[in-house]
Amino acid sequence: MLQVAKNIYQYRELISELAWKNIIVRYKQSYLGIVWAVLKPLMLMLIFTLVRSFVGIETGDIPYPVLTFAALIPWVFFQESTSEGVISVTSNAPLIKKIYFPREVFPLTAMATKLVELVISLAILAIMMAYYHLLPSIYALWIPAIIAYAMIVALTISFFGAALNVYYRDIAQALPVGLSLLMYGSPVMYPLALVHKKLIVEQAAGEWSNTLYTIYTLNPLAGIIDSFQRVLFKNLPPDFNALYPGAILIVAILPFSYLFFKRAENWFADVI
Amino acid sequence: MPIIEVKHLTKEYQLGHIASLKETALNGLRLLTGKGTHKKEPFKALDDVDFSIEEGEVVGIIGHNGAGKSTLLKHLANISKPTKGQVIVRGNVAPLIEVGAGVSPELTGRENIFLNAAILGIPKKTIMQKLDEIIDFAEIEEFIDTPVKRYSSGMTVKLGFSIATSMDADILIVDEVLAVGDLAFQRKCFDRMESLIKKQGKTVLLVSHNIRQVEHLCSRVLLMDHGHLLMDGDPKTVCNQFYSLSERQIKNTQDSNSKLRQNVLSSNDIDLVSIEAFDGKGLATSSVQYFEDVEFRLTFNVKNRLPKPVFGFGFHTTDMLYLATMQSINALECEELMPGTHQVQFKVSRFPFLPGIYSIRIGVVLGEFFHPVFYAENLFPIQVTAPNISRSINSGSNEGFIGLDVTWGLIS
Repeated sequence: MLQVAKNIYQYRELISELAWKNIIVRYKQSYLGIVWAVLKPLMLMLIFTLVRSFVGIETGDIPYPVLTFAALIPWVFFQESTSEGVISVTSNAPLIKKIYFPREVFPLTAMATKLVELVISLAILAIMMAYYHLLPSIYALWIPAIIAYAMIVALTISFFGAALNVYYRDIAQALPVGLSLLMYGSPVMYPLALVHKKLIVEQAAGEWSNTLYTIYTLNPLAGIIDSFQRVLFKNLPPDFNALYPGAILIVAILPFSYLFFKRAENWFADVI
Repeated sequence: MPIIEVKHLTKEYQLGHIASLKETALNGLRLLTGKGTHKKEPFKALDDVDFSIEEGEVVGIIGHNGAGKSTLLKHLANISKPTKGQVIVRGNVAPLIEVGAGVSPELTGRENIFLNAAILGIPKKTIMQKLDEIIDFAEIEEFIDTPVKRYSSGMTVKLGFSIATSMDADILIVDEVLAVGDLAFQRKCFDRMESLIKKQGKTVLLVSHNIRQVEHLCSRVLLMDHGHLLMDGDPKTVCNQFYSLSERQIKNTQDSNSKLRQNVLSSNDIDLVSIEAFDGKGLATSSVQYFEDVEFRLTFNVKNRLPKPVFGFGFHTTDMLYLATMQSINALECEELMPGTHQVQFKVSRFPFLPGIYSIRIGVVLGEFFHPVFYAENLFPIQVTAPNISRSINSGSNEGFIGLDVTWGLIS
């Protein structure tokens, strides 16, 4: 893991240049440019708001659009950096065949690119919060840490997926399907408090309720999204009870994912 | 201590696709039922290659297509990993393996300079200092803020080359890059390579099919053949060996498909049936002795009457450089050729071409207006040998192509 940090530092110029290239290439010849980056969470927010007006989701006293937008920011960031990360090695085949540098630069670059879009989404969130007269608390200082955690989660999947995708392109096809399923298993449309209330307070699934809640929070995104909303709107620190199952899972998988990537790296140029 | 050490390097590739899920599953099933799996034979791209290079050496790597040259470079640049053996490189490597690998078409020239510098690991500070020099060398001042997708292909390569050579590396790995751009720019690249080699004393590995260039630039040449290191030595010896290998190969392919029908443009009035060569004693031969008499006999099958035919007979090298062409006009009196079989004789006294492989082209035209009825080239491989010529000119392309009938004198 130390090696990753060292590589990030040593190749920071390369990562920033490549990320800059990605952004330019994506938006250079388009009229709306970088606006496209935030269109996805905005559209999803509108759809969710519309759906909620039919089905009714308990969300407490925070206006639903801003609540779901705050959930969509970490979610879309995670989803996009994972799917970009997984194809990042295969889409840079010409470079891989010709020049050597540590290949983890590619998933990291994919993430750095998405970080720029994240910042723009955060700016829009700030505007929305101002509109609803919501003020973030001092706990909002947790946000960089939450984002960093989301990056680690995305990297864990990216390393494994990107390496495997070099051998079997099925991965890049399957991942979007898996991720859109995961969205419904994450508190994006509905708040985590609702799940907590059903399972822990009302014990809706009988004796299985507590186990089910732990399984639900094994998804690191549950904790991430919930924390994001808590520190912004609820004047509360992150809920570590919702965070730790996912965190343990990630800490357990990340080293293997990284080692798998580094081992597979040796044959990228031959197989790609 | 050598700057590059390659120890028993072997690289195997699996031929065909990587196993699909279905194959993997089937193989697993066979393994379970004890039937033995389908194993594909690996292909050895490099087979037990072993050499070392000292600092400051300029080493050329030559060989036919698929001999393993580029695979070897990929191992030195750490792009591929050996199946067996070891590669030790002490120092940082600037890979010029196909320049412009990292050039992104959407970015402008200037943006690409920074991007590619980052890819090659050149610090931003260094590139800032060298920016003007790079732009100047690439000759693209006017277009530096235009996206590279609007560049001509030559401009793109020029940009790539000038970025890559601005890197301050201990070892330069060059794969066919000297063949970029127009002639003037090639000359410039060549000069820059030469100054990198001779003035800055860098270690350079150069892969090229331009053997003349290799011979000129390098202090040592490795000859690869089918993954083996065939020869390792001074440029002249190794290049000569390579020439004779190539010539043998060309002769073999030509012999195996020496159908006269190939490469023929004919009006169907006349057909070439055979070409034969005879030495000075009148014996049929396939090789010609340098500076000996030789006679060629061309057998034509004429189908329609041909008025006033003129024959042309020429020699060219295997890479289609025309060396000599002789016409029968005013030398062969022939009013007309009636249908039937005819033989044309073509005698060369003191055959002047230096040892090597040459080929023949033949044409037939009619009348005063030279109406063409038959033309064919690359028809008949002639190997020119010279038993009593010293080794140094035993290779046609080395010392030119033609020997002159000269008399030396010493007046003192």
